Amino acid sequence: MTQPDYTCITGGTVYDPANGIDGQVRDLWIADGRIVAAPSDRAVRPNREIDARGLVVMPGGIDMHCHIAGPKVNVARKMRPEEKRKAAPLHRTELLRSGTMGSVPSTFATGYKYAGLGYTTAFDAAIPPLGARHAHEEFADTPCLDKGIFVLVGNNHYVMQSLRKKEPQKLKAFLAWLLGATKGFAPKLVNPGGVEVWKSRQNGNVEGLDSIVDNFGITPRQILRGVAQATNELGLPHAVHIHCNQLGMPGNWSTTLDTMQALEGFRGHLTHIQFHSYGGGDADENTFNSKVAKLAEYVNAHPNITVDVGQVLFGETTSMTGDGPVGYYLSKVYGGKWFSGDTEMEAGCGITPIKYKNKSLVHALQLAIGLEWYLLVDDPWRVAMSTDHPNGGSFLAYPQIIRLLMDRTYRQDVLKACPPQVRERSTLYDLKREYTLNEIAIITRAGPARMLGLKNKGHLGPGADADITVYTPHDNKETMFELPRLVIKAGRVIVEQGEVRDPVDGKTLHVTPDYDRAIETDIRSWFEQYYSIGWRNYPVDFDYLHAAENVPTI
Amino acid sequence: MPLKLSYFGDTSVPVEVEGLTPDWACDKSPAEIERFEIFEGNRKRPLAEMFRVSGSATDRCFEWEGNLAGVHWIGAGMQTGEMHVHGPVGRHVGSGLRGGAIQIHGDAGDWAGAELHGGLLHIHGSAAQMVGAAYRGAPKGMTGGMILVDGDAGDEVGAAMRRGLIAVGGSAGDLVGFNMIAGTVLVFGDCGIRAGANMRRGTVGLFGAARPTLLPTFRFATTIRPHVVNVLLRTVAAQGVKFDQRLLEEEFDIYHGDAVSVGRGELLLRQVEVAV
Repeated sequence: MTQPDYTCITGGTVYDPANGIDGQVRDLWIADGRIVAAPSDRAVRPNREIDARGLVVMPGGIDMHCHIAGPKVNVARKMRPEEKRKAAPLHRTELLRSGTMGSVPSTFATGYKYAGLGYTTAFDAAIPPLGARHAHEEFADTPCLDKGIFVLVGNNHYVMQSLRKKEPQKLKAFLAWLLGATKGFAPKLVNPGGVEVWKSRQNGNVEGLDSIVDNFGITPRQILRGVAQATNELGLPHAVHIHCNQLGMPGNWSTTLDTMQALEGFRGHLTHIQFHSYGGGDADENTFNSKVAKLAEYVNAHPNITVDVGQVLFGETTSMTGDGPVGYYLSKVYGGKWFSGDTEMEAGCGITPIKYKNKSLVHALQLAIGLEWYLLVDDPWRVAMSTDHPNGGSFLAYPQIIRLLMDRTYRQDVLKACPPQVRERSTLYDLKREYTLNEIAIITRAGPARMLGLKNKGHLGPGADADITVYTPHDNKETMFELPRLVIKAGRVIVEQGEVRDPVDGKTLHVTPDYDRAIETDIRSWFEQYYSIGWRNYPVDFDYLHAAENVPTI
Repeated sequence: MPLKLSYFGDTSVPVEVEGLTPDWACDKSPAEIERFEIFEGNRKRPLAEMFRVSGSATDRCFEWEGNLAGVHWIGAGMQTGEMHVHGPVGRHVGSGLRGGAIQIHGDAGDWAGAELHGGLLHIHGSAAQMVGAAYRGAPKGMTGGMILVDGDAGDEVGAAMRRGLIAVGGSAGDLVGFNMIAGTVLVFGDCGIRAGANMRRGTVGLFGAARPTLLPTFRFATTIRPHVVNVLLRTVAAQGVKFDQRLLEEEFDIYHGDAVSVGRGELLLRQVEVAV
C-alpha cells in the first residue's frame, strides 16, 4: 500500500477551539486536502514539512455574512467608478488575474484579498433566486475561497401566498425546492414583508412584526415564524438567516427583541445585529443610543439565537442591501446616487455610497454598538465577526476589529477621537473585556462553522478540510492578522506572507433537502403564470459550479 | 534649462503619458526619463521610443513639442512645476492637477483639467468637452485652482465643480455648470442650452452677446453690479484672457436656481443683447 502524500505542519502553537485546543504546540498532518491523524508508525515521514515553530496556527477564516457576488454586487461595482479609479489596481501576473479594488472589489481581487487575510470560506448573504446563476458564475471567478449563497425568501410571493393560505407543508416543500434549484445554502429573510410594501406603494415599509403586508394580508411575524419553522423541520445545517425589520432606524431595538421572541425557540441567526440595536426615535440624532445591553441579555439567555455583528468602521464604503426601503432612506441621508432593484416576485435591493465619519455621533455610536455586541455576548460561540461587507466596512478591516477587541487601550484611543456623547449613550467605555486568541479563533472560524453547520470546517481535527492559516505573533494584533505567514487551502499552500502563490478554485457549499415532489406541479403552474423565465431554465445546473459539496441536513 | 520632449510617434492608437510630471522627473537622469514607461494602446513602451528627450528636469519645467493630439494625460496629477505645450494635446490634460502651471499653446481634447484641485491650466486654443468636470460617477469635479480657455469650450464645462474658477474666452457648449456644487464659471462668448442645470450653488456668468434661453427652473432675482465680478474679471484679464471691456462697467441680471436642486446657484446675464 502506498503512503499518502503527507504534509505536516510541525511545532506550531495551535488554536483549535472546536477540539478544545487553546494555544498548545502540536503537529498537524494533512493528506488529500484534509486533516488526518498522525500516522501511528513513527517512522513515517511527510513528503513536505512546514516548520511552524513560534507561529500561531488556526483554521482558515470563515466570513458567514458578506456581499461578494450576484446582481447587486455587480451593480455596485459599476456604480462606483470613482472608487475604482482611486484605488490601486491589482495588476495581472503570470499567476494572477488583474482586478480592481475600492469598497466592492472585482471577483478575482475578492478571492485574492480574502485569502491574503487568512480567510478560506465566505458566504454571500443576499441572493435573489433569479440572481443565483449570476452569483455562481461570479463565484467561478472568485478563487481561493469555498463559497455559498443565502437565498432571499422573506418577500417571495410563493412564500407569502403559502402563509396566507395557511399551507405550511407547501411552504416547507417550496423552500426545499428553491434551495435545491438555486444551489443555495440557507434561506434569508430581509425585512420580511417590508420590501413587498416598498414595491407596492411610495416610500412604503412595514413598521413592526404585526404590520400588514400589502397584497397578502399577512404579517412579518407570520413570515418569520413560518420560515423559521420550515427551516428547522427541513433540518437545514444553518438556521434561518434574519435581517430584521426597521434596519438602521432609531428605536428599532424593540422590533429586534420582538423578532427574537417570535422565533419561539426555533433556531434563528440574526445578522448584522449592530444595525438593529438602536434606541431613540423619530429619526432624531439627539435620542439615538445603544440598546445592546438589553438585547445581549436576551441572547445570552436563549441558546436558539446566534448573531453576527455587522461592525461599522470609519471610512467610505458602499451600502448594498436587499432591503429596498433602507437603500432609499440612506440615499436621502447621504444625498448620493442610488440604485433600486425589483426582482419580480422575489425580492428588492437598494445601493448607495456612504461614508462613516468619526466626528458623526451616529456613526461613532454605530462603531461602539458593534463592539458592545462582541463584548456583551457571554458565549463567543454565538457571535460571529462580520462587517456585513461592504455595508459596515470592508472585510479588509477584520484585523482592525480584532485589535479593537484584544486591546482595550487601543479601543479607548479610538473612542477618544469620537464625540463625547458616545460615553453617555453606550456602555463601551466601561467594558474591560479583552478577547483572547482562542476567542478570536472562535468568532472568526470555529463559531461561524458551527453556526453554519459545517462539520468539516472551522476546526483542525481529523476529517476537517485542510484550510489552515499560520500567523506570525505580534504585540499589535492588527499587524499579526493582516499579514498571515501562510494560508493553506485544501492542503495546498496558497498564500505566503500575504502573497498569493497558488490561486486554487474553491468549491460551492450547498444543500439539497428532501421535499414532497408533488409540490412541483403547483410551483410550475404558478411559475409559468407569473415569471419572466421558463420553469426549465430556472434551476442552476451543476455545470455552473467549479466543484460542489452537498452539505447534509441535520 | 527645461526638459524638452519632442513627440515623433506615428501611431493611430492612443498614447498615454500619465505620471510623467516634474515631481517625478526632477531628480532623474535623462536616461532614466527616457526609460519612463508610457502606453501605446495596451502596450508599454519606454518614453524614448516616441519622444526625443533633451535638457534637464531639475528646474521642474517641461517643454512639449509636436502634434500631441493623440497623447493623453499630459500633466495629470502634477503637483509642482511648469509645463509648456506647443501644439494640440489629447484628452485629460492637467487632470487632477494639484499645483504648478500648464500652458497649452494649441487646442485640448476632452476632460481638460477634469477634477482639478489646484494650480493653473491655461489653454490658449480651444478645449473639447468636460473642461474641469467630474469624471463619471464622481460626486465632485474641480475643487480648486483655475482653468482658462482662450478659445471655445465644449459641453458640460465645470460639471459638478465644487470650488475654483473656470473662464472661457469664446463660446461654450450645452450644460455649462451642470450639477455644479459651488465655484465660478465665466463664459465670455455664447453658450448652448440648459446652462446651470441642477446646479446647487455657485456662480455662472454667461456674458455672450446673445442672451441664452434659461431653464424654467431659474427665477429672476435682481439687476445688480456685484463687486466680486470686477475682481474676477481683473483676475482673468491679468492672465491674458480677452473679453469685452464693457463688462467692467455693466450691471447684470441675476437669476437664481436650479429650483429642481438646492436652488442657491446664480446665473449672471448681460442686461440686453449687445452688439459685438
